[in-house]
Amino acid sequence: MKYTFKKGVHPDSAKGASSAKSIERMPAPEKVSISLAQHIGKPAVPAVQVGDTVKAGQLIACADGFVSANIYSSVSGTVVSISEMRATPVGKCEHIVIANDGAYETVTLPALDNPTKEEIIERVKLAGIVGMGGAGFPTHVKLMPKDKVDTLIINAAECEPYITCDHRIMLEYTEQFVEGARLLMKALALDKVYIGVETNKPDAIDALKAYVLDKNITDVVVVPLKPKYPQGAEKQLIYAVTKRKVPVGGLPSAVGCVVDNVHTALSTYQAVVEGKPLYERIMTVTGDGIKEPKNLLVSSGTLYDNVLQYCGGFNSENVAKLISGGPMMGISVMNGECATTKTTSCLLVLTPSGANLTDPTECINCSKCASVCPMNLMPMFIDSALANADIDTTVKYGVMSCIECGCCAFICPASRPLVQTMKLAKKKIKERK
Amino acid sequence: MDKFIVSTSPHVKAKRNTTRSIMFEVLIALLPLVAVATVFYGYHVIINVAVCCLSCFGFELLYEKLLKRKEFSFKKASVHNLSCFVTAVILALNLPTTMKIWGLNVVSGSTVIISFDIIIACILGSLFAIVIVKQLFGGIGKNFINPALGARVFLFLCFGAAFASVASMFDATTSATWLSVKNEVTGGMLLSMLLGTTGSAAVGETCVIALAVSYVYLSVRKIIDWKLPLVIVASGFVFAILFDGVVNGLEGVSLINNALAHVLSGGLIFGAVFMATDYATSPNTNAGRIIFGIGIGLITMLIRCFASYPEGMSFAILIMNIVTPLIDKYVYPKPFGSQKKAKEDK
Repeated sequence: MKYTFKKGVHPDSAKGASSAKSIERMPAPEKVSISLAQHIGKPAVPAVQVGDTVKAGQLIACADGFVSANIYSSVSGTVVSISEMRATPVGKCEHIVIANDGAYETVTLPALDNPTKEEIIERVKLAGIVGMGGAGFPTHVKLMPKDKVDTLIINAAECEPYITCDHRIMLEYTEQFVEGARLLMKALALDKVYIGVETNKPDAIDALKAYVLDKNITDVVVVPLKPKYPQGAEKQLIYAVTKRKVPVGGLPSAVGCVVDNVHTALSTYQAVVEGKPLYERIMTVTGDGIKEPKNLLVSSGTLYDNVLQYCGGFNSENVAKLISGGPMMGISVMNGECATTKTTSCLLVLTPSGANLTDPTECINCSKCASVCPMNLMPMFIDSALANADIDTTVKYGVMSCIECGCCAFICPASRPLVQTMKLAKKKIKERK
Repeated sequence: MDKFIVSTSPHVKAKRNTTRSIMFEVLIALLPLVAVATVFYGYHVIINVAVCCLSCFGFELLYEKLLKRKEFSFKKASVHNLSCFVTAVILALNLPTTMKIWGLNVVSGSTVIISFDIIIACILGSLFAIVIVKQLFGGIGKNFINPALGARVFLFLCFGAAFASVASMFDATTSATWLSVKNEVTGGMLLSMLLGTTGSAAVGETCVIALAVSYVYLSVRKIIDWKLPLVIVASGFVFAILFDGVVNGLEGVSLINNALAHVLSGGLIFGAVFMATDYATSPNTNAGRIIFGIGIGLITMLIRCFASYPEGMSFAILIMNIVTPLIDKYVYPKPFGSQKKAKEDK
């Protein structure tokens, strides 16, 4: 049986280019630029000064407040500057630039043996672990929910087309991943963890099941999910696995659920058992415009340009888009002078044909957008209401519930930029208050 | 160095999915009807289709040229989305083969060789459909009623007498349609209604089998909502039984036969498949479409059973077209996870 949610779309998964490529370590570049604002919440405060010598794994910026996370250096070397630079998704923010001395001197935290619930949460907080699927919400906040939580779900759906890093992690780091998921489970004082995997990754499901069977683990349940987008969206995943509906405007904990990403589980394991804080991550570099699609282990703060170069550069003069993240929800950037962060799961290079660029035309009221919207909204009415500056109507048709998954704009025969509409409408509503 | 395109997500779109491709699929679905009509009624059908296509295309282009003036460019003209041809073919299929209005027909014996009357009617209909119903209200997606249907009713109200019936190759004497005589229905009559070998007011409405092929094609290609035509046909059937059985006192087999004849004759199925499913003028939710479909069935049968017009499908669709914005205003889904639903689940 395959679990799923209602509506949604079936984009071409396009994962074939990189799904069979083993994870490869990309050597750290000569210079890394580590962003201080890697997620929602407050930016971290620098703990080093220009001229300081740092080691890989050394704390260079401290969390500021509860919803914030520590940041560690990914190389050993000298801090050359702390300056403003363009970054996704926040626009511009301070970056600590470190010149790599090539020695890779590393410091680690003490490894924890059989840690308690509190020790795990403390370590997750200390190691700067965040949700590594995209939003980058600090994980320790999720591990201390206000409501009573009874279900932990690991989001291994990887429903975004092209991206394969979670898939490779499940295949190559099976043990670390499953044990990491169990650590998160322990931190929440639960006795079961659900791992939701789309059935288009049968080898990953087999690897997880084989490991669980081999080690006689009974508290891990692998849930096969129907391949459909956005299967990995938090509310849709919770519905698919538990049939619970997160209330409008509510957090998953309102229905007793916590959802964490695959890489977050892996990083938790590394932080707790190996004492390694979060300063590097596995990401996918793919798309129809890149020469050698790869799955890479990349040091935090590596510039996109360095990563693209390592993958052989572009295979075409005519590259339309460079996207940080997947094609459905990723952020397109204007050039490669932008640094990878804890949440950069993918770099996607699309040519004009891959991006299917077409100009918007008039809405024909076909209601395809409404028929695919996983949140049951009416995008065409929100679009026309916003064009008339009728904010009340956009609220009536549920714009505040929009998860910006992009199904509506994906399916729109008139190529209307519906997600842009939704974002703009939300902004206008916030401004009005 | 800003070298890449920056835009909001999503960065991919469904392939082969444009307004033009949808309209193209509808044109393909209309082909069997044009073919069957040509076989049944002769070359006049082809002439009418061609005249409607040319004039719809011309009027839409001309309208845009006049209004946009210097900003007009043929490359970006709205005619490229092919919707004017869909309107044209549906309009042509909604007319008889020839008409007798002003007597501008070239006649040889009792057969009409070329009917300039219907050619003028086609041009007038196209003008009404494209300019008045569609473009004046904002073009594609903004029309308040189905353009082809609006034009049909416009022509019907102007030249009602000329709409009597069409001569079929099976029936050279121009027999009246069942709806205008309502005689006792027999199994043979039902069969000829299914095949289309009977009198009909418009060339496209005749062959139910060809309509079924088009319906299946459009549904499989997901161009139309497959449920809507079924709701209309089912509600038409139910209301026919209700009105003829309870009010007009028919019973047993003749009641069922009568209801079947109601469904199979006239424009009910053609309207249900091609005109009620028009995107711009049908509701955008499943619940809304069910209300819309039941409304069409109800009004059609009210007109057919109790009013002076033999056929009520066009009026029924037009009325429900106008009700559509009201349905959409009140019938829309609650966002996923709305409180009331959450309670039901527990």
